[in-house]
Amino acid sequence: MEKAAAENDDSGSVSLLVIVLDTNPSQRIVRQNPDNLSQCLDATVAFGNAHLMQKAQNKLAVISCHHHATDFLYPMPVKQLEVRQVDGQYEVFSLVEKTVKQRLSHIITNAPKITQPNESLLAGSMSMALCYVARMQRNAQPGVKIHSRILVLTGSNECASQYMTYMNVFFTAQKLGIVIDVCALDKSLSLLQQGCDITGGQYLRLTQLDGLLQYLLWVFLPDPKTRQMLVLPPPTKVDYRAACFCHREMIDIGYVCSVCLSIFCKFSPICTTCHTVFKVPGPLPPKPKKKKKV
Amino acid sequence: MDHHGEEEDPKEYRWETGYEKTWEAIKEDDDGLLDGAIADIIQKAKRKRQAQKTMQNKLGMMRHLYLMLDCSESMSVPDLKPTRLLCTLKLLEKFIEEFFDQNPISQMGLIVLKGKRAEKVTELTGTAKLHLKALDGLHKINLVGEPSLQNGLDLALKTLKVVPSHASREVLIIMGSLTTCDPIDINITIDALKQESIRCSVISLSAEIHVCRHLTQQTGGTYGAVLDDSHYRDQLLSHVDPPPAAQTQENSLIKMGFPHARQDEGKEKDPPLSMCMCHIENADEPSKITSAGFHCPQCHSKYCELPVECQTCGLTLVSAPHLARSYHHLFPVQNFTELVYNGQAAICYACQKPLTEATDKNVYRCEACSQIFCLDCDIFIHETLHTCVGCVTIPGAAAQVHARKPQAPPMGMLLGSSLGQRF
Ligand SMILES: [Zn+2]
Ligand SMILES: [Zn+2]
Ligand SMILES: [Zn+2]
Ligand SMILES: [Zn+2]
Ligand SMILES: [Zn+2]
Ligand SMILES: [Zn+2]
Repeated sequence: MEKAAAENDDSGSVSLLVIVLDTNPSQRIVRQNPDNLSQCLDATVAFGNAHLMQKAQNKLAVISCHHHATDFLYPMPVKQLEVRQVDGQYEVFSLVEKTVKQRLSHIITNAPKITQPNESLLAGSMSMALCYVARMQRNAQPGVKIHSRILVLTGSNECASQYMTYMNVFFTAQKLGIVIDVCALDKSLSLLQQGCDITGGQYLRLTQLDGLLQYLLWVFLPDPKTRQMLVLPPPTKVDYRAACFCHREMIDIGYVCSVCLSIFCKFSPICTTCHTVFKVPGPLPPKPKKKKKV
Repeated sequence: MDHHGEEEDPKEYRWETGYEKTWEAIKEDDDGLLDGAIADIIQKAKRKRQAQKTMQNKLGMMRHLYLMLDCSESMSVPDLKPTRLLCTLKLLEKFIEEFFDQNPISQMGLIVLKGKRAEKVTELTGTAKLHLKALDGLHKINLVGEPSLQNGLDLALKTLKVVPSHASREVLIIMGSLTTCDPIDINITIDALKQESIRCSVISLSAEIHVCRHLTQQTGGTYGAVLDDSHYRDQLLSHVDPPPAAQTQENSLIKMGFPHARQDEGKEKDPPLSMCMCHIENADEPSKITSAGFHCPQCHSKYCELPVECQTCGLTLVSAPHLARSYHHLFPVQNFTELVYNGQAAICYACQKPLTEATDKNVYRCEACSQIFCLDCDIFIHETLHTCVGCVTIPGAAAQVHARKPQAPPMGMLLGSSLGQRF
């Protein structure tokens, strides 16, 4: 009771970090050198522990996005591993390391062999992260504000097929006030970059793994509020225009289907997405000259 | 079963602080603390709506909705806490935010009924802020006399008659009063509404009102009388989803503008300073001269926020992700199957919550990916995420999901930074 009275405004807030780690062996950096995966893993664990070290109330979760499944590496859903009970909080750190490594080696050993490169279903892993965060927020004690963020660490290429899932994830994160941070370890990722922009997160692309942990600590460890005061890598310029569904070309004026909101660069009598037949535009807009196409 | 499952057992705190939960926390809690019977009714209604959603494919995505609020004496009754009006205003705040979140290029207007008169508080507009501000002003309104349903409907009809024919036209009435005081036969108005395909729905805060039910039946709307505040919330939020497209609604391609990047001050080579059009006639917040903003690609007028209809050339200005925000309406997640829990899975596939017979009476299975989810995730997936976590994390199922969705251009469908700043 007395403890509650002595609480300062800070103890009413908890910072939850969910790291989504791409462990897919199809990643170029992993195919070139399997040691790169252990390097990423070590950096992830060290970074996660650095987050926990910042404040006793801080929370951590680590999710692996493998080529065949998404799994929680930490915490264990039901029963935590036995770590020798030593006084002080350092036991948590060894718990994180032990759990993450044990779970991942289990996943890798039991994963089906891949015959060809498989895409990483990152948008899916992020959706699982959101459900976890939503649960933590539901379970929060009254008066405790949970500040949540999701950090994605990946060397995969972006898959446009996951576009709708990404968008659903970004809008949900925005709605729940969850910040999305992305650290790209190979190619630049334009869709994930949009997620950072929509949710107010930070996007960073590294071209080599040297100093990965230092970069993580510098760019992603400070909470989003503190970041405003730091000198961080400058934001990359993003394009705000739309691309038409018909040619994937950037347009600044287009035509939108009133039924499904698909975007086209030219008027056409039928929507190719939802097959709606449109009324020919009335007298208001000047009739487009009929171009005869051969 | 032991329960040191969580990293930390929250229970010891729960019993200490549980009773201190504020009224608002309970509101947000949605289901957990409700009276069982009503919670059941709400849950059933949700699932039924979800099932209907997956069956229809043509929706009225561009909505024009008049919200009609009874502000007569009957709204001062304290059967909803603290009063019908205050409870309504609180719920409407949430409704307005959700409405514009889920219907990104729609418009709304607010009409108030009191003392036998109808008054337009806000015109049809796509800016949530204006409505929220007007709503705020209603906290101190004098609740007097009787409402006139007919006067209100006539007022809405006058404006909705002239909105473009590809848009859906709707009126949502919140009635506290059991009676309406109308100048002439209300059936004349109802016929006119029917003629113009204006869909009228009613939420009654008291008992069933015959004329209201008749109105909704004639115009294809829905009718509901609320049982308590959580039931009210559910009824209201069900109107966030776009209604099925009216038969007479014309489908068309609408010309829209996608403004170029909003440039931050100081970056790039100094862009010219200019004034925005949206604040130019706003006395409260005068137009600031800055270099940032969205420029109409047709006439170069500048605006602070999207979406907006260009005041100079009439072009609707939006950003691509604004549109993407509503694409999920076209691909709703199928209803999960409700099962009595008997150990189908040890944990919820999505949130990792350990499932037990004591805490989880029912669990939910996605028929596409066969994964098992807890009740909270069933709701979260269908109402917020719009993505089945199993279907998008398991490669076989994911391939099927991706096949039915419009694909993203790798570089395209890009950003609108306004998204982050809308509320
Ligand atoms: Zn095109
Ligand atoms: Zn269409
Ligand atoms: Zn402005
Ligand atoms: Zn213009
Ligand atoms: Zn769950
Ligand atoms: Zn599924």
